[in-house]
Amino acid sequence: MSRAILIQLARLGDLVQSLPVLTALQSAYPDRPLDLLCPSPLVALGELFPCVDRVFPWNGEQWHELATTKMTDCDQQLARATRYLADSAFPSYALAYNLNNHPRGVLAAHVLGDLVVGPGEHGPLNRTLPAWAGYLRRIAQDRGSNRVHLADAFCGLCQVSPPLHVPYLKAPEVPLPFELELPVNGETSTLIGIVLGAGDSDRRVPLSVWQDLIVACADHIPQCYLLLVGGAGEREAALALEHRLPAKYLNRVVNGCGQTSLPQLVALLHRCQWVVGSDTGPLHLGAMCGARAIGWYFSRARVHETGPYGVGHYVWQHSGAQLRESPDVREINTAGSSFASWPVMETVNLMRDDPVNATADEWDLWTSHRDGWGAYYTRDGIPDEAVLHRKDTWEALAQLANQSILMEVSK
Amino acid sequence: MDVLKQNIGILRDQDPILAAQILQVPGGTLSIQPAKSGMPTALVNSRYLHSAYDPVREAERWAEDRVKDCQGGETIVLLGVGLLYHVQALRQMLPRDQVIMVIVPDLSEFADCVSVRALEGWGEGVIWLTGSMTDIAVQVTQEAKRVRVLSYEPAATIHRETYEHFRLQLREHLAQQLSGALHIMVVGPIYGGSLPIARYVVNALEGLGHRVSWVDHSPHYAGYQNLETIRDPRLRLTVQQRMSETLAVISLAHVAEDPPDLVFALSQAPLTMAVLEQMRRKKVLTAMWFVENFRHLTYWQQMVTGYDFWFVMQKAACLDAFRKAGAKQVSYLPLAADPAIHQPMAFTEEERLEFGADVSFLGAGYRNRRHILPSLVGHEWTFKLWGNEWDNPGALASVLQRGGARIDTATSVKIFNATSVNINLHSYTGDGFDPEGDGVNPRTFELACCGAFQVVDTRTLLPALFDESMMAVINSPDQLFPTVQTYLHEPARRVAMAESSRKRVLEAHTYGHRMKTFLGAVGIASPDRLGAILQGDRHAESLLARSGKTPELIPMLKQFPKTHRVELVDVAKSIRNKGPEARLSREELLILMMDEYRQETRDFL
Repeated sequence: MSRAILIQLARLGDLVQSLPVLTALQSAYPDRPLDLLCPSPLVALGELFPCVDRVFPWNGEQWHELATTKMTDCDQQLARATRYLADSAFPSYALAYNLNNHPRGVLAAHVLGDLVVGPGEHGPLNRTLPAWAGYLRRIAQDRGSNRVHLADAFCGLCQVSPPLHVPYLKAPEVPLPFELELPVNGETSTLIGIVLGAGDSDRRVPLSVWQDLIVACADHIPQCYLLLVGGAGEREAALALEHRLPAKYLNRVVNGCGQTSLPQLVALLHRCQWVVGSDTGPLHLGAMCGARAIGWYFSRARVHETGPYGVGHYVWQHSGAQLRESPDVREINTAGSSFASWPVMETVNLMRDDPVNATADEWDLWTSHRDGWGAYYTRDGIPDEAVLHRKDTWEALAQLANQSILMEVSK
Repeated sequence: MDVLKQNIGILRDQDPILAAQILQVPGGTLSIQPAKSGMPTALVNSRYLHSAYDPVREAERWAEDRVKDCQGGETIVLLGVGLLYHVQALRQMLPRDQVIMVIVPDLSEFADCVSVRALEGWGEGVIWLTGSMTDIAVQVTQEAKRVRVLSYEPAATIHRETYEHFRLQLREHLAQQLSGALHIMVVGPIYGGSLPIARYVVNALEGLGHRVSWVDHSPHYAGYQNLETIRDPRLRLTVQQRMSETLAVISLAHVAEDPPDLVFALSQAPLTMAVLEQMRRKKVLTAMWFVENFRHLTYWQQMVTGYDFWFVMQKAACLDAFRKAGAKQVSYLPLAADPAIHQPMAFTEEERLEFGADVSFLGAGYRNRRHILPSLVGHEWTFKLWGNEWDNPGALASVLQRGGARIDTATSVKIFNATSVNINLHSYTGDGFDPEGDGVNPRTFELACCGAFQVVDTRTLLPALFDESMMAVINSPDQLFPTVQTYLHEPARRVAMAESSRKRVLEAHTYGHRMKTFLGAVGIASPDRLGAILQGDRHAESLLARSGKTPELIPMLKQFPKTHRVELVDVAKSIRNKGPEARLSREELLILMMDEYRQETRDFL
């Protein structure tokens, strides 16, 4: 059978949220080899995805260099771009699934695939969005009562149903840095991942809040260790956090920021029972590694679209973000640094399996579930009207799908 | 067979006249002795032109460094003869079809060389150019499409002036052939004397057909001036510096949004070393025209390595100082006038009353002017003094106009035109004339361009620009009074001289001329980048002619007028114009992809 490639050129979180659609595509077309195109720095993670045959890097820096070098004429630039593609040795693809509603994703899909599914499927210059892409755009502008999870909407974009089972990443067998190996492999304990960083500054949790959480965990959860998770950009913040902590807690903290490759991070997250953070890539990665996630969602993050995927995860949703459901409400300051309170003890109680009040000051607690239409969150375990409405959304959008593409895809 | 005989045979095949000349010259310019390696090396005036240990290895290293920059299609013009080890090394490293021309300024030196160094195997692939530097420059311009000048300094330095003359000639000839249009970003100062020059430069470059983006910082002047209200001098200086840094980042933002081929800054432009370094990282070439006296204003020393090209209004000592301080490329570029601004004009009676005078001086109150100009007060003629920084004017108080207010360009043109004898004293912080006075101020060109008569103090660089039939040149302050007196009584002679000076400006000293020279210089120094564009290599017809490796581009390029400069952005735009239903080729998709990344500016600031 002909090959297909899925294109995801966005950041870590989006790549992790693409695991369900990759799984669903492989289940739907088990005989069709499925490759992945992702940003170069994320290739090592893509290679851990069980449903992907080959992973190809997309080197944005090199494209930028090709495009902006002042030394070359456009004919030389074109020759170099052609050479870049030839060096990448892409096989030919009958199908390119594109998840990015961005010209680069659209163009990459048309360069690589004979047929494009997803944004750009009407042509590389045609801005008409496929039904699911149009739906996602409307949600981005006016969230309304949407309950379709982004990872499931990716499935819709690719014209497959959500996967039957929640996909997980396997733990890679990679050696860990010595200073991380001992604490996480030592005596029986609860390992909690603390995701310090965030791609956008307005999604960062203040260090003082992390300090409170670490102290509360250490005081109330026996034998627990806190693993600080983040990239090189979080190294300074992690050091600052360690400096803030009273000495007696330091032996409970393992600083992994900027010290691990992506496979090593996956290996570490596999050993975590819990992972706590804002709406960031490592939080989703933790959930895909089997840890239970507790998200603190504020600013533009909303549980129903990007809550950790799967079952048994929690999200504390700040009410400021809920207010932003309407495009008319834009001026609310929802940066984390301005909040009066954070659900610190409530989060500790969730990990201790103690009773928790589902509303704490400005925060509401949501719990994740899953059914045939994908992942969803409820406040009390009972699917409300909006959750049930997902079925109608799927059916309505299926009606609008490009039937000719559907037929081609099914061949 | 002896070396000379064999070499003459090779040269005769290439150039029989040269071969004959070599046999005629006596030689003896080079003192030749064996190097440690056994190969001959040479000295002139006790200075080695090649290594005393291993001249072959030294030349190979020199050539290895240069070859990296050489591009296919370029003609390599080599300065420096000596024993030609460097030429041999370069010839052996470059493809056979790449033309190498060696400029031979002294046949005697060349004769010494070919007496001891065999040309066989490599010399046949070199073109030897002899004769006057002017003729050689013409020949190079005619025969070479794209020129890269390389200089082997140890040997070139013994003919420094000759080679400098060649460079100037080549620059001028190439400047006349420029047909391509650059995108040039002109960055001006917040205020000061170089601000109007920035405007003239913008006009001139646009007049030559280039796309010019002017980063005009003069709107920030009011804010900058307002900082004077900070009383503590150190605090004020710090804040002023911070403001300049912010303006530098603003300039960088403009570069990020619409990257130019070249950033051209005028002196006092608020560009910091950090911003210049960022431009270099983003491969934007930068040039600075330092239109100040390098001895008086010395901040260039901190900035000298920041710019790719420096242009200065002084010669020898100035060029040496910049080179010693680390300037990569520095060239003499005198000031000029803008004939659209500086021109003869008619007056209303009211204007003549206000601006007219027998004798005028317009300029700031430097010490030498305060010392010299009082000699013109209290005579039978009317004398008006215009300009600022004349606080405590003393004997000049009675002639100071407008209370010493700053005079704008339009008013200065009226003053020049309405004055019978304009005094033009170059600024100096001493009492008399600047004993090191070399560079010629803008007022000299502006007065001449207006067709206004002037008495000017002597400058070493003045005779090359104007002769004494065009203006009255005085050599000492005590010549000022009699000279003014003489010319006041000779109106016909004044008019003739002034007309002659205006003619000279229109022929050779407009900002248009300067910008051609400037572009010729940057084109020579950067043949594969600016030079190629300037010579039309990015015109649609030129791209079409060499689209062998990318035939897919041909239909796209055919959409453009032949002499239209075509860049990636233009091709991408034409592809997008195909409309939403278009099916695109793989090459068209790649062009669009690169255009998407071209627009990315997030890592600029």
